[in-house]
Amino acid sequence: MSGSKAKRMTSPNGAKFKTMRRVKLKKASEMIQDKIKKIYKAKVARIEKVSSNSHLIEIDLPFEIDIKAGQFISIYCKGLTLRRPFSVYSHFGNKIGILFKERGAGTKYIKSLKPNDIIDIIGPLGNGFNIKNKKALLVGAGIGAAPMAFLKSELDKKGIENLFVCGFLNKNEIPDCINIDKIYTDDGSYGEEGSVLNYSDELINTYKPEIIYTCGPYIVLKTIAETAQQYGLEVQVAMEKIMACGIGVCRGCVIDIKKNGEIVNATVCKDGPVFLGSEVVWQ
Amino acid sequence: MAVITDILQTDLNGIILKNPIMTASGTYGYNNEYDDFINVSSLGAVVTKAISLNPREGNKHTRITETEAGMINSIGLENVGVEKFINEKLPVLKSENIDFFVNVAGSTIDEYCQVAKICDDNNIKAMELNVSCPNVKSGCLEFGVDEKSLYELVSAVRKEYGGFLTVKLTPNVTSIEKLGIAAQNAGANAVSAINTLKGSKIKISYINGRVQKEIITGGYSGRGIKPVAIGAVIRLSKAVDIPIIGIGGIETLDDVLEFIAAGAEAVQIGTANFTHPDIAQKLVQDLEKYITDNGFKDLDELKKELRK
Repeated sequence: MSGSKAKRMTSPNGAKFKTMRRVKLKKASEMIQDKIKKIYKAKVARIEKVSSNSHLIEIDLPFEIDIKAGQFISIYCKGLTLRRPFSVYSHFGNKIGILFKERGAGTKYIKSLKPNDIIDIIGPLGNGFNIKNKKALLVGAGIGAAPMAFLKSELDKKGIENLFVCGFLNKNEIPDCINIDKIYTDDGSYGEEGSVLNYSDELINTYKPEIIYTCGPYIVLKTIAETAQQYGLEVQVAMEKIMACGIGVCRGCVIDIKKNGEIVNATVCKDGPVFLGSEVVWQ
Repeated sequence: MAVITDILQTDLNGIILKNPIMTASGTYGYNNEYDDFINVSSLGAVVTKAISLNPREGNKHTRITETEAGMINSIGLENVGVEKFINEKLPVLKSENIDFFVNVAGSTIDEYCQVAKICDDNNIKAMELNVSCPNVKSGCLEFGVDEKSLYELVSAVRKEYGGFLTVKLTPNVTSIEKLGIAAQNAGANAVSAINTLKGSKIKISYINGRVQKEIITGGYSGRGIKPVAIGAVIRLSKAVDIPIIGIGGIETLDDVLEFIAAGAEAVQIGTANFTHPDIAQKLVQDLEKYITDNGFKDLDELKKELRK
């Protein structure tokens, strides 16, 4: 920026930025090296179908990242305006795995990727599960099994006793890559018959968890949160909402939460996606 | 440490930016939120999320949806209010050396004026008046669609605020030129064009044997609005003498050049920040490279060439 060469324009209002002094700026290309930025190119390591309606994609990141169960990454999908957020299913060093179900244009793009394709990622984003040293019940439903599987591996690593249960529509929907302790299917084609929600009381009474973590469709989160509260148990829920920025600035993904006796906005992307079930204002 | 030359220096007749790449209100937070992706202080200026006199909760219904060539938002101006902005957000802008414009929204002239006065008292160098948000029920857009109301508003704000003042115009009018002239006559230093277009999307799904519809109405932004924005900048550049800050669907260097050719002195990157959070910094680099590679002395020379 300007030094002596600057045109000394006098503003009618006397307004000017601090442009009249010499400020040294690094070239933008150099600044990128300053610290590890949360945007990078990554390589698809493998992609495979793991159930009738879901795929697993493994991605090689250019470096190791710290990522917690419940946190997410956001993938740029060619030709689309909004990135698509995915909670992480697995993480080893610089490799992360994402489980996804084809739902629309974004997941269609991701499904079309091949090994060695380069994708554009931001993350890790958001707040993951706050792991407590307490006997844990993990409740997943459908593709919500993904972050639960990651959480289970974290709990196992820490030696925290846990039970991971998950509900699916039918046998074909169960991803064959996941180890789940107990499975429920709506049509009874695998495991116990019926929605996982029908079994929540029984699970709590027999397993006697001290904390519940859950991820799945809204109705599952709401029901599990309400049930847990009846038993006076802490419950952490991973919420989902359409996002634009992924970093809390656009305020596009807000939900109502209770804070200090007031109802306030919280962004799923930055304040969440994991919230205490007791603080969410359920619709 | 290399020194960026001042070849990108942008004179908006009242304020000098280090380069013409700014970020649009509502897409960049209040200060350094994009710090995880770029060096925010390298940008020409950041325009803050719209600030109102009192905090606003924003809208309750679905706030965003993607469209074929962009997105629709109906945030409803959720913001922390001017007091919290001054106390919590402004110090970060200052300590991080970020050049910024405060975007101001209101429902009444008095509200705008109170915020303008506070900005003036706090020595805020540049302000952008949001008179064109399509997502709030009263005020705002009403000022932006009527020349007389706009003139009255800008004149009133001008009395309270001595800094650089740009007025963000809506494309949802018959003649954007007339609004630009009104802003100029009322003492604005520049106009920003354009804000979002009013649009809707109907999401149709078939669940449990029934068709379900959700209608989302709000401001349409992104790639698809660029031709509308370029058209508006061309018309404005023929109508007003004050600088024009071009906004609308900018994603590439070619887009920036197109806006400059249309008559914009600086540009704002909006929706593309969501798609590529490092885009604004990349455009600064690209523009600098384009100027050097093609043998132009500086941005001003490129501007002259593009407008021949």
